[in-house]
Amino acid sequence: MAAIAYPDRNFKYWLISPAIFLLLLIGLFPLIFSLVVSFMRVTMLETDTSFAGLLNFIQLFHDARLWQSLAHTALVIVIALPIELLLGLAMAYLFLDRMPGRQILISLLVLPTIISPIVAGATWRLLFDNRYGPINQIIGWFAGYPVAALWTVNPRLVYPAIIFCEIWQWTPFMFLILLAALSNVDRSLTEAAEIDGARFWRSFRYIVLPAIWPVMSIAILIRGLDLFRIFDIIWALTAGGPGTMTETISVYAYVQGFRQFESSYTAAIAFLVIALLTVIVTFAIRRMGLAK
Amino acid sequence: MSDLKISGLHKHYGAYHAVKGIDLEVPSGEFTVLVGPSGCGKSTLLRTIAGLEEASAGTIEIGGKDVTWARPRDRDIAMVFQNYALYPYLNVYENIAFGLRARKVASDEADKRVKRAAEMLGIAQLLQRFPRELSGGQRQRVAIGRAIVRDALLFLFDEPLSNLDAQLRDDMRVEIKRLHQELGRTMIYVTHDQIEAMTLADRIALLRDGRIEQLGAPLDLFERPATRFVAGFLGSPKMNFLPATIESGDVALRDGTKLTLPAGRKAPNGQAIILGLRPQHIAKAGASAAPGHVQLPSTIELVQPTGSRVQVSMPLGGSSITAEFAAHEVTAPGEQVRIDIDMTRAVLIDPQTDKVI
Amino acid sequence: MKTVPFHRRKETKLALRYLTAVSLVVIFAFPIYWLFAMSFKTPGEIFAFPPVWYPRSIQFNNYAVLFKDGDAKTVGNSLVLASVSTFFAMILGTIAAYSLVRFKTGGENLAVWIISQRMIPPVAIVFPVFLLYVWLGWVDTYIGLIILYTAFSLPYVIWMMRGYIEDIPLELEESALIDGCSRWEVLWKVVFPMARAGLFATAVFTFVFSWNDFLFALVLTRTEVATYTVQVTHYFGGQSNFWSKIAAMSVLGTIPVFVTVATLQRYLVRGISMGAVKG
Repeated sequence: MAAIAYPDRNFKYWLISPAIFLLLLIGLFPLIFSLVVSFMRVTMLETDTSFAGLLNFIQLFHDARLWQSLAHTALVIVIALPIELLLGLAMAYLFLDRMPGRQILISLLVLPTIISPIVAGATWRLLFDNRYGPINQIIGWFAGYPVAALWTVNPRLVYPAIIFCEIWQWTPFMFLILLAALSNVDRSLTEAAEIDGARFWRSFRYIVLPAIWPVMSIAILIRGLDLFRIFDIIWALTAGGPGTMTETISVYAYVQGFRQFESSYTAAIAFLVIALLTVIVTFAIRRMGLAK
Repeated sequence: MSDLKISGLHKHYGAYHAVKGIDLEVPSGEFTVLVGPSGCGKSTLLRTIAGLEEASAGTIEIGGKDVTWARPRDRDIAMVFQNYALYPYLNVYENIAFGLRARKVASDEADKRVKRAAEMLGIAQLLQRFPRELSGGQRQRVAIGRAIVRDALLFLFDEPLSNLDAQLRDDMRVEIKRLHQELGRTMIYVTHDQIEAMTLADRIALLRDGRIEQLGAPLDLFERPATRFVAGFLGSPKMNFLPATIESGDVALRDGTKLTLPAGRKAPNGQAIILGLRPQHIAKAGASAAPGHVQLPSTIELVQPTGSRVQVSMPLGGSSITAEFAAHEVTAPGEQVRIDIDMTRAVLIDPQTDKVI
Repeated sequence: MKTVPFHRRKETKLALRYLTAVSLVVIFAFPIYWLFAMSFKTPGEIFAFPPVWYPRSIQFNNYAVLFKDGDAKTVGNSLVLASVSTFFAMILGTIAAYSLVRFKTGGENLAVWIISQRMIPPVAIVFPVFLLYVWLGWVDTYIGLIILYTAFSLPYVIWMMRGYIEDIPLELEESALIDGCSRWEVLWKVVFPMARAGLFATAVFTFVFSWNDFLFALVLTRTEVATYTVQVTHYFGGQSNFWSKIAAMSVLGTIPVFVTVATLQRYLVRGISMGAVKG
């Protein structure tokens, strides 16, 4: 860009330093702090700052509950993400061409995404209420007899409940992104393919998919990471229960830190999570050229 | 007193050496045009003068002050950009007044100056409009207005007419020339169009590859080019270049055709040269050849009428040349004509150094 | 094979599409309708079995109770926290983005680091931040949460504004520099006005993100600065839930967002696409 004359040399640093300073607060500070504390034996009851070596990290490996929470998290991601993606894609195709009231319909469709995840969880808590919730009522209509399923307590129903709520809230997000991406695909390409005889799937696989892949991959990355840190919805519906059945990594870390007060151990978990994610995310960002 | 003095200016972009040692002194009130093919460094030079690029080496003095490290706004300059650079969210009045407001000029003083500039450019009735409502030519005038309203010492123009269509360009060229006469300010003008250069400049600096190839009045460069590059760049249609050798005072073309050099024109015998002939100096032969002219028969290959003139291609000395005749002197290809070459205007070039002998 | 006339085929397709679309919208909007409806129901209607599908009359008693009991104050807290932090994040983030775009400050590495901060899970940083705030005495204070929300919004603001700033023609800034503006003046007089649309869209999304936050508020507020998201969860019960309060609180906390997004939705497509899709 334009040269900076001598007097203005430091301008660019002044501009960015407040932001950097604040970012260090949430970026570097927790990392270092967690690392340091994780080498101690601090709990809310005893502040034992003696060096504990890798004690906490070793404990991590042996912590079955931790690994289960990771498995729970993986379960949520593996089920919810593909559904959101495919459903969002299908919906995007549905709304791609004009139709009456398209704008209004899309605005209504987007509502779930802009409410707070806690409110979303609360809403579905209402819906899933075993006695007064409409979901059970509707199921009862189809089944022919009254149903009083305990969606937020029954071990067989908690995951479907969580996943329904999650998909309800975030499919519209995928939908919007994919709609924008699909709208930007050059029509002449698909039209030429159609004239050449390609049916829908062939056209989709070789023309549309490569065209929307850059956007789609970013959306998958963002949603995948958001699903990894899922907290609010689970907290609202089951609080990790029954027992620890729906405890994802975020919920587990929260419980360890603010219920059990195992400060050092929580720090170890936190450090591990931050370090791991930073590596994955940095790799992904560089690979996708997002920083250019 | 020179308003602009550049000494030993260099500009590097990493490994790329864009400006290679420029020395230029522009006296007060002069209109200097920096012209050259794309990539020659003319825009870089202008932007460095403006302070938008940092010089890698050398000094720049404006109005006697060393401004090599000064901020753009401290250099007492005004600039007109190729893409007008108008603020879309301000109306024409505010666009023109922008610089005055930035320098905290009093409201009524600013008002006077804006109105005066608008009058001068014929846009006084557009002052309340917004840029998106204006045509290309009008926008360019507003951009120029914004520059002249500040009464700067040096005016810089970065290819201001390149975005306009041909007709508009001609009109605006006249405007700019008139502006210079009225204001009498020192102006540095960058263009790739040699016609703009020829018509507007008091002096032309022809740039090539980051260096000034030749500096001088337009007619100087046109009639007495220093190198082959200068000879070929100025003039439309382009000068013809024919490889030849000097044989006892004659120019011997490749196919043996001999053209006599006029008396007083010296050239070392036996030397290989390149003969440069402008199309305007090749005419349809009249009754007899004037001193220094040579007459030859030839056959017309191609005819391109341009209105009052016609460009004619024909073979000469083993190559194809272009001549410019008057409109009705030639009718069709295949026609036999007798051409008259004005050898007093011919340019002899040393093929090793590309310099004019 | 009997061929259907071409224009009939197109109409049937459109009708089918429309039907599917409307059904989808109904399915997606139903829970929200239920929430709103619940907030207007009387206790009798709420605890009815089988469920009552629409309230007989719109009564605002549930809302009145919120105001009386001080729950509504939490919505005010959310408003303060979200708007102030958005304001600062927009300013600091935009000038930082400008530094990145125009001067390539810190090169690619800095840009990568900044963007990666968006992906950090809140749960990983809330613990150290909590301890820090305890030490600073910032728990349950406006300033504590404003600073946190501002910091957390920065990566998104910087990422989005980068794109918008790149779209500003450089010549506008150069011309201003020559005309007499200082670098700061160029920012306020040229860059911010030119990026207006982008500022708008990004601000709305930043506001919504902060407004909807739960975890940070849960950990870092107690009574003074509690946000509506935390307040809603107070009425979750193991055995029974305070439905009317939950519904009314949720609606109170959701209406501002609905209104904002609804009125500005034209500008927001790019924001939702995370700047991934140009135009």
